Amino acid sequence: MSKPVVKLLLTLSLLCIIPSFLFALTGEEVIQKMDEMATFETSVSTGSIKTTDRFGTKISTFKAWARGASDSLIEFTSTAERGQKILRTQSSLYLFYPDAEELIRLQGAALRQSVLGSDLSYEDMTEEKNTLDSYTVVLEGSEIVNGHDCHVLTLTAKKRTVAYPVQKIWVDKQTYLVWKAEYSTAQKRLLKVMEVLSTVEVAGRTLPSETKIEDKMKRDSATWMTLDSLEVNVPLGANIFSLENLTW
Amino acid sequence: MVGKRTLCLAFVLSFLLTPLLAAVVPVVDMSLLGGVSYKPSTETVHQGTSMDLKISLPSPNSGNVRGEVVLKASYPDSSPTLEEVIHKAYLRARFPSFRLTAGKTRLSWGDGMLFNAGDVLYGSSSTSVSLTQAVLRDKTDWMAALNYPLGFFSFFETILIPSTSGRIEDAGFGFRFYTNVGETKVEAGFATTDAGVRKHKPYVSLQGNIGADWYLSSSVELDRQFTASTSDLLVTGGLFHSLYFPGDRTLTLRLEFLSRPLQSWAFKGQEDANCTFLLYPELVYTPTSSLSLSLRSILSPLDLSMNATVGASWSVFEGFSLVGFLSAPFGQSSDLFNWEGDQRIALGVGASWIY
Repeated sequence: MSKPVVKLLLTLSLLCIIPSFLFALTGEEVIQKMDEMATFETSVSTGSIKTTDRFGTKISTFKAWARGASDSLIEFTSTAERGQKILRTQSSLYLFYPDAEELIRLQGAALRQSVLGSDLSYEDMTEEKNTLDSYTVVLEGSEIVNGHDCHVLTLTAKKRTVAYPVQKIWVDKQTYLVWKAEYSTAQKRLLKVMEVLSTVEVAGRTLPSETKIEDKMKRDSATWMTLDSLEVNVPLGANIFSLENLTW
Repeated sequence: MVGKRTLCLAFVLSFLLTPLLAAVVPVVDMSLLGGVSYKPSTETVHQGTSMDLKISLPSPNSGNVRGEVVLKASYPDSSPTLEEVIHKAYLRARFPSFRLTAGKTRLSWGDGMLFNAGDVLYGSSSTSVSLTQAVLRDKTDWMAALNYPLGFFSFFETILIPSTSGRIEDAGFGFRFYTNVGETKVEAGFATTDAGVRKHKPYVSLQGNIGADWYLSSSVELDRQFTASTSDLLVTGGLFHSLYFPGDRTLTLRLEFLSRPLQSWAFKGQEDANCTFLLYPELVYTPTSSLSLSLRSILSPLDLSMNATVGASWSVFEGFSLVGFLSAPFGQSSDLFNWEGDQRIALGVGASWIY
């Protein structure tokens, strides 16, 4: 092959390869996009938490309000726990128990307590969507999950206050939906696996409508979280994420 | 007969207080308990069955006015008074700048599960409490309260407690201020009540986190002349922490204390009304999300007596739980807890159902 031809081929190869480097996303950018797609100015949703074990199924229903990445309020509407509320803000988590008219402020390890005996913790239910504040990210590669081409990322906790020290997540390259997540201890011991079973399109974004969470440390136990309705960017009252509204 | 009349009256009242009854979904909370108890003082064994029934009629969960009627009855208490049957009957109205609560309900002031010096409205220092209950203090009373939000996480609250004698000078009132200073919750307030004797009760209550959640409250009871005796200064506090193990097994630890620091710290028999120092350790172990095992105890270090309760609760089906407990006092005759008088060793098993 003549020198000019080799030069031409090399030049063409570089021209083909360079853009893919220029436009390839870093792990941090994938996480930022993932958080952006999961965060709305405001949202109002209703749904249920279904827990199964050897003795059958327990269902709790809820209504939830959220604003931005940090503020959320969940009110349980099912009979046994009706009126119990969880308010999450940037720095604190408050619980309200209507029977005793009791307002409890939770901090620290108490955030990891199970919500209503499910495989979800208070931290899971009201998780902040500022992932990069709490985790460092490594982009591991790509895999197909449920027919969707996904980025595979490993997140390692920067601080000890998070619920899961290590997370491995599969993020859709098109929609930035997390199709699957594995939550582990710092020693890489698998604790929980989350899978998205179905999705819904809202405001041009793909969001999970049914999610299954399995606690890998327990036999015969799983939790399904289902969204029955979701409205986004709806006007919310100015005081909805306040103690006054929590105890209302 | 009195009991039946009272119950009928209570149910009629609940209908009157709940005009939108058609839209109301009642919630029934039923607890059945059977057990045996041994009374060491008389060396007798008793067997008994009891039932607690609670019917809640909440208003629809919308609009700016809400309310709830909660009726309670217990078997074998055959003649409950209307006051006992109506556990809650209140309305809440949300105005643009404040909220009104009127009727019979509860306001939880201060912090503490068993001991809470900040609970100046109902009192949370007595040891006459069943350690088998999930909620240890749930006394309610008639009131009118106004809550003024002062930001998202601060508010000012005032309460008027109506006179039970009909004389206006016997009415009580109080107020509290609730806010966060940095990572610490700060609450301070005052209540004046007249249950036979006029008492003025200022208090302060703090809550924060140092790895474990902590809370600390202090109050003093002043008489009409604003003087106090040594037993009137009360300090309570506690630590709460959860430990997590593989398999979602959880161990929660709580340690509360109650102190009347100006009382005598001599090692001698204590009395419930003026104990110098008490401890409340609580361990709750949940090996699975539906099973919990608990050890709760009230310790009186100055007379080395205690009342301990070992309990288990298994949430089998939706709203349905099986419960069991063993409770026993330990101490000598002059101690706070002892095997004299009415104190018993009790073993019980039962079920509770909410539907």
